[in-house]
Amino acid sequence: MSSATDRRRRFEAVVDEVFEPLQRYIRRRIEPDYADDVLSDVLMTAWRRLDDAPPDRVLPWCYGIARRTLANARRGRRRHLKLVKRLEAEPQTGLEPDPADAGPDAELSEALDSLSVDDREVLNLWAWEQLEPREIATVLDISINAATLRLSRARSRLSERLTRQDDAASGHEAVEGTREQR
Amino acid sequence: MKDELRERLARIDPMHSGVPTEPTTSESSQELLEKIMRTPLEEKEEQASAPRRTWTIAVAAVAALVLAVAGGMALTGGDEAPVATGPPLELTAGGEDIMASCIAFTPEALDDVAELAFAGTVTAVDGDTVTLTVDEWYRGGDAAEVALIAPQGMEALIGGIPFAVSDTYLISAQGGNVNYCGFSGATTPELQAGFDAAFANG
Repeated sequence: MSSATDRRRRFEAVVDEVFEPLQRYIRRRIEPDYADDVLSDVLMTAWRRLDDAPPDRVLPWCYGIARRTLANARRGRRRHLKLVKRLEAEPQTGLEPDPADAGPDAELSEALDSLSVDDREVLNLWAWEQLEPREIATVLDISINAATLRLSRARSRLSERLTRQDDAASGHEAVEGTREQR
Repeated sequence: MKDELRERLARIDPMHSGVPTEPTTSESSQELLEKIMRTPLEEKEEQASAPRRTWTIAVAAVAALVLAVAGGMALTGGDEAPVATGPPLELTAGGEDIMASCIAFTPEALDDVAELAFAGTVTAVDGDTVTLTVDEWYRGGDAAEVALIAPQGMEALIGGIPFAVSDTYLISAQGGNVNYCGFSGATTPELQAGFDAAFANG
């Protein structure tokens, strides 16, 4: 049947679109040693569920599969899969960290770390995967409204943490004793 | 202001566009993609001719059936008697995890990986949900009915394991995850013997 050929063709088109960003998505969230296995599993699922792929949101759809694959891996193989939590703290390849960026990076990483997993997730999808709320909604399998709200709140909380850090820093330099509230 | 935060976050992206990834054209990528595209989708037909092989793929697709109330389930069935009188149990099927890092099936291995184990008969396959009546608890539960719910992966789930009404299955699970790679599946004499041997002593 030509449907098999057609399916291959459709899958290859999906792969062309998602192969690179999917690798990035996965490697941002799991140790490199496991990334290949996860990628393979995600693509296998995409192959099997190809008919479900929304034509206009194939990549977010694949991210959603990857997200669940990682979540399941985390649940099912907690002892074996050591997840990288400090994603942003350690560039994974030989990147030359710009000394000028080192300060702000540390500050931001710290603020990000202090947020909930949900907040970090939505912020990462927004800034690293460069997704908009509509696409984030697909990844997280929630409504667009919910995605918009979650992103907005996460951003507020991150900004708040950053401001607090700034206040704390300047507070130390200036008058001791003006304990910040809130 | 909004964009500033986004850009600032993007600057600490460990996998920014400057970090190389594997191209689709590489030998290993091609090999992977070929392997995937050769994976049969018609599990039922495959099963007839090559049950063992299919099972590996099939069960991998169900990989992590998450027992939503696994803790309670695992702990409430304190006694070893194979009763199935408790309230219905709902299991969420993640369905996506096909992390098939399999160990060879032996009754001893099953004993090790099964916090929960039961034999059940499918009473309904409906949309996202497969419902089983528990025929016998081998270990760790007392629910009379178990629902497998796969909000995301039921297609893979159903496609993977050909759940059919009236057919019987042997399911084992641990840590909230259904064991796969031959540690759960449609009842066959082989699997039944494995379950019997593994749980002979409770």
